[in-house]
Amino acid sequence: MNLPTNERLLSCRDLRVFVDDKEIVKGVDLEIRTGEKHALMGPNGSGKSTLAAALMGHPAYRVEGEILLRGEPIAGLSPDERARRGLFLGFQYPVAVPGVTVASFLRAALAARLGREVPVREFRQKMQAAFDVLEVPKNFTGRYLNDGFSGGEKKRLEVMQMLLLEPAVALLDETDSGLDIDALKIVSAGVNLAARAEMGLLLVTHYQRILDYVQPDIVHVFMGGRIVRTAGPELARELETRGYDWLADPAPTATARG
Amino acid sequence: MVERMIDAGAALAGLDPASLTAYGDRRGDDAATTAWRHRALAALTAVPFPDRVRHLWRYTDPERLLPRRLLQPSGPAPLAAALPAGPAVRLEPGREPRLNDAARSCGLVIAPLFADPADRELIGRAVPVDHGYFEAINAAAFGAGLTIRAPRGFGLAAPLRVVVAADAGADVLPRLLVIAEDGAALTVVEEHTGGGGGGCVIGVTEILIGANAEVRHVLVQRWADGQVGHLTQRARLERDARFFGATAGFGGAISKVDLGGLLAGEGARSELVGVALPEGRQHLDHHTLHQHLAARTWSHIDFKVAVAGRARSAYTGAIRIERDAPGSEAYQENRNLLLSDRARADTIPELEIHTDDVSCSHGATAAPIDPDQLFYLRSRGLSAPAARQLVVRGFVEPTLRQLPADLRAELENLVDARLARLREVG
Ligand SMILES: Nc1ncnc2c1ncn2[C@@H]1O[C@H](COP(=O)(O)OP(=O)(O)O)[C@@H](O)[C@H]1O
Ligand SMILES: [Mg+2]
Repeated sequence: MNLPTNERLLSCRDLRVFVDDKEIVKGVDLEIRTGEKHALMGPNGSGKSTLAAALMGHPAYRVEGEILLRGEPIAGLSPDERARRGLFLGFQYPVAVPGVTVASFLRAALAARLGREVPVREFRQKMQAAFDVLEVPKNFTGRYLNDGFSGGEKKRLEVMQMLLLEPAVALLDETDSGLDIDALKIVSAGVNLAARAEMGLLLVTHYQRILDYVQPDIVHVFMGGRIVRTAGPELARELETRGYDWLADPAPTATARG
Repeated sequence: MVERMIDAGAALAGLDPASLTAYGDRRGDDAATTAWRHRALAALTAVPFPDRVRHLWRYTDPERLLPRRLLQPSGPAPLAAALPAGPAVRLEPGREPRLNDAARSCGLVIAPLFADPADRELIGRAVPVDHGYFEAINAAAFGAGLTIRAPRGFGLAAPLRVVVAADAGADVLPRLLVIAEDGAALTVVEEHTGGGGGGCVIGVTEILIGANAEVRHVLVQRWADGQVGHLTQRARLERDARFFGATAGFGGAISKVDLGGLLAGEGARSELVGVALPEGRQHLDHHTLHQHLAARTWSHIDFKVAVAGRARSAYTGAIRIERDAPGSEAYQENRNLLLSDRARADTIPELEIHTDDVSCSHGATAAPIDPDQLFYLRSRGLSAPAARQLVVRGFVEPTLRQLPADLRAELENLVDARLARLREVG
């Protein structure tokens, strides 16, 4: 990928997401540039997954506000069109598709992303390269997609897909949850590799665990459907010691603890 | 009820003893064949016309399947279509069965039905003349009839392909008798093709599997649009016999297919797999029956249906375990995938168990495609139709995988062609 450095890869302005008439994401501004790693941290139920899925174009959500992918508005596009243009979502709960092998799925996905048929040789090489990074065993290819996979296997396959498909921007929703320490290191290596390849990354998480291995450039705290604070990596460390509560109040200093 | 019988009688005008005799004479039937036809005609008058209230006909109107031009001389025979490579026989209306060289030299005995006097003893063993109304029509008025016999101990791995051509302008009543003598093994791929609006096929296939013998039978229904038909297939298994039956339903306007295994000998094993993919306004109705008549018999059914458009599927799966079948095991599974709001699938399991000490279980589901699966696949760049196609392919894949490797590729290709078409018509 040859992205001009410091390009705005993903921007959203005053993004609001509704389920039926309930507003879950309540006005989010975000800008992710080439090679930047953003962490979006917040307690369970604050709307992080909803934000990520809405950015990807999940049909269950009504969205207001603007979403730009490399300067182009995408809010009206289908999920597949967004994917073909270079947006990627690593799922918090990857979905099983029984009967569809990992290999046939990956080949269809790569062909869609590249907009052309992918010869078997080329496909095998690219798939193997991504598998190697994630230390995925060879017999994965013949297994049915996410069917009977352990949590860790699913997450590794998500990151593997990110490397294979080389999106401009990847949204990784809780990719660190459910991983043991070895798997966490492997997954983090994949994420760091993607960032070096100049992808823009949004790491959605409610733990700081992954941030021991992936150094974010920018940390956002997300609560109640809003980004309530944005700062550098030091904010993640502060959250580790202080939790989220001190940020919940509109006047944080009044309730700040320890 | 009475009214229906009269209606049916009217529809069957022409099927009376005199015209049946004339038909046999025209065909050059021998006396034994003619006598058998007349016995079938007598049975037909005693078999009631299918009652819509009774379970097997709840979903399909039998009047839509009635032949209209029985016993009529066929028109000029169609141009001889090429036979596929490998042992093959083609049955066409108004013609003698055509065999290719491979079929003539493969070691199976392939002959017109009743050419061997022994056929008289065997015909009707798996599908008796009075099995049902349509089976009785076939018995009385069958056209192309064929016996395929694997002699004792003889084994043939290569499948014998039997192509049964329907006719858009005529009724076609094929009748097959497949015999695997003790210890023999054979594979028959029965493919129903052709036809079109106005055509009706009423077919019967009996499969007799001797002790320790094995038969694999693939039934592919790929009629042209508008064709209607009723196909009955029964395998009867003797001691330690094995049957593998696969069916794939694709074509026609209305199709009713009744498949089954009668496990008559101790230790017999029967496995059936099916895939049906109706679309548009097609109506596909399938039954399966596994009847356990002897001890320690085993049966397994996996039947998958994906219904698109405004099509409709009905599946009735019956398992009967009789008193003399202790130690038997039966499993049946029918899963249905609804690909549109207007698609419909009915699934009716019928379990009748008359002895203890058996293991019998079944599963049935009908559901639309999971929207989470579609979103996941689309988030990877697959268009909505491509994502749906992949999910449906995955849905039938575990069933196709149960096919022996040498029979699988052909069915996979047919399934893929149908799914590609569904993708276009949406
Ligand atoms: N499709 C939906 N239907 C109903 N409620 C939803 C839907 N998606 C999200 N929500 C609600 O939005 C809130 C935020 O959920 P989520 O985005 O999963 O939070 P997080 O990822 O931060 O834990 C929850 O209260 C959840 O129940
Ligand atoms: Mg979440």
